[in-house]
Amino acid sequence: MLLLGITGSIMAFEPELDRLLHANLSYVTPVGRALSLAEIGESVNREFPGEPVVAFLPSTSTRFPTQVILSRGIVSVNQYSGEILGVRARGRSFLGFVRALHTRLALGDVGRNILRWSAVALMLSLASGLYLWWPAKPVRIRARWWSAGCVFDLHNAVGIWSLLPMLALAITGIVIGFEDQAAALIDKLTHASPARTDQILTRPSSQPGSTQITPDEAVAFATAQLPGAVPYRIQMPRFGGTYVVALENSRDRVTGERNSIGIDPWSGNVLTMNLSGGLTSRERLMAVNEAIHTGTIAGVPGRVIASLVSVVLPVQFLSGVMIWMRRRKNARLQR
Amino acid sequence: MKALAMALLLMSAATAIDFSGNWSGSFKVEGGDHHGVPQLLILKQQGHTLAGSGGPDAGEQYPIENGKINGDAVQFELTTGEWKFTYRLRSVEADSLTGTITLESPDDRRTARVSLTRMK
Repeated sequence: MLLLGITGSIMAFEPELDRLLHANLSYVTPVGRALSLAEIGESVNREFPGEPVVAFLPSTSTRFPTQVILSRGIVSVNQYSGEILGVRARGRSFLGFVRALHTRLALGDVGRNILRWSAVALMLSLASGLYLWWPAKPVRIRARWWSAGCVFDLHNAVGIWSLLPMLALAITGIVIGFEDQAAALIDKLTHASPARTDQILTRPSSQPGSTQITPDEAVAFATAQLPGAVPYRIQMPRFGGTYVVALENSRDRVTGERNSIGIDPWSGNVLTMNLSGGLTSRERLMAVNEAIHTGTIAGVPGRVIASLVSVVLPVQFLSGVMIWMRRRKNARLQR
Repeated sequence: MKALAMALLLMSAATAIDFSGNWSGSFKVEGGDHHGVPQLLILKQQGHTLAGSGGPDAGEQYPIENGKINGDAVQFELTTGEWKFTYRLRSVEADSLTGTITLESPDDRRTARVSLTRMK
């Protein structure tokens, strides 16, 4: 519980913390026009000759750089000057370790099993806490600060005020922990097929000798299919067979990122189209569940709440242990 | 002595594995979902080096990099995007490969167990 709370409160701000921890690779000053993806690719090729671009991660803000994925790592490029800011190698980072602790105690299958049952234990603990709170219904801290009564009041007051968001975290945590079982249940209830398949519209046209379209042209063909959506990832055809353009629809906070369009690298034809509108009930419900758990369903305020509620978890755990120890001591003295 | 050396050479040549061909199977990430992720590897052996491609199916293939063969063991890498897969496989039975994959992203490292069989 202690670990889940601390790591959860950190994870709520993972993107911001990640940028803070890699500040030299994460910020640019906008000057003039942004370079095209082809021009950015040329800059990267000059710095790392012979290394093909795996994918582009275009900047989603004028303050953030464009990233280019190579086999050696992720290259940050100033999209206004073409300057290479640096390369981020692959491997576990501090935030990666925090996530590993939160999702599997950094212990693989054993850790994941412990955590899924911890979510169930949290749920039971909330129910028993409500049962114990009910007779007196304390909602404020009345006792003197740092007295034994204060810890008791704190546990009760914090517990009742955070009950609903804690319940939301526990329930959504259980669903994440028992994802396979939850997915099967949703499929059964909604009579849906287990998962959507790629919507293949046509086959790639291999034309040896002709030149491939550029990544910028692939983006143009893809965005024409989903006007208003912003491209955030372009996979190069050498890595997977086709251009795959991932688009974010900012109007949909929960599944807005789940749009990908496959583009024929020779003709520019749309080969596959997987839009968030075509998600199955299971995929949509699981995405909503995750968005509630992380707080992203309510944007930044939601993430702040998720982080604060996560901090409450260790507070409740420690104050609960203190109350239990004090009662145990008192009982021993009375005997 | 020469005859013995020749016999040993011929024996090792006879038992050497040719990794070339199509291999299918799945991998399961430690601490990940319980279902396996499908795999199709199209391997091309060139002496002690390995080329070809790999991915979940024939329509989505990624080029093999740094492929090396050492007896019945093979090691190679695939970059699919943020994740890089480093395969370490061994042929323990005829027409089957088993081993591990180390998956690395810019902030995480996972391991997976993989099992493949040669497609006829």
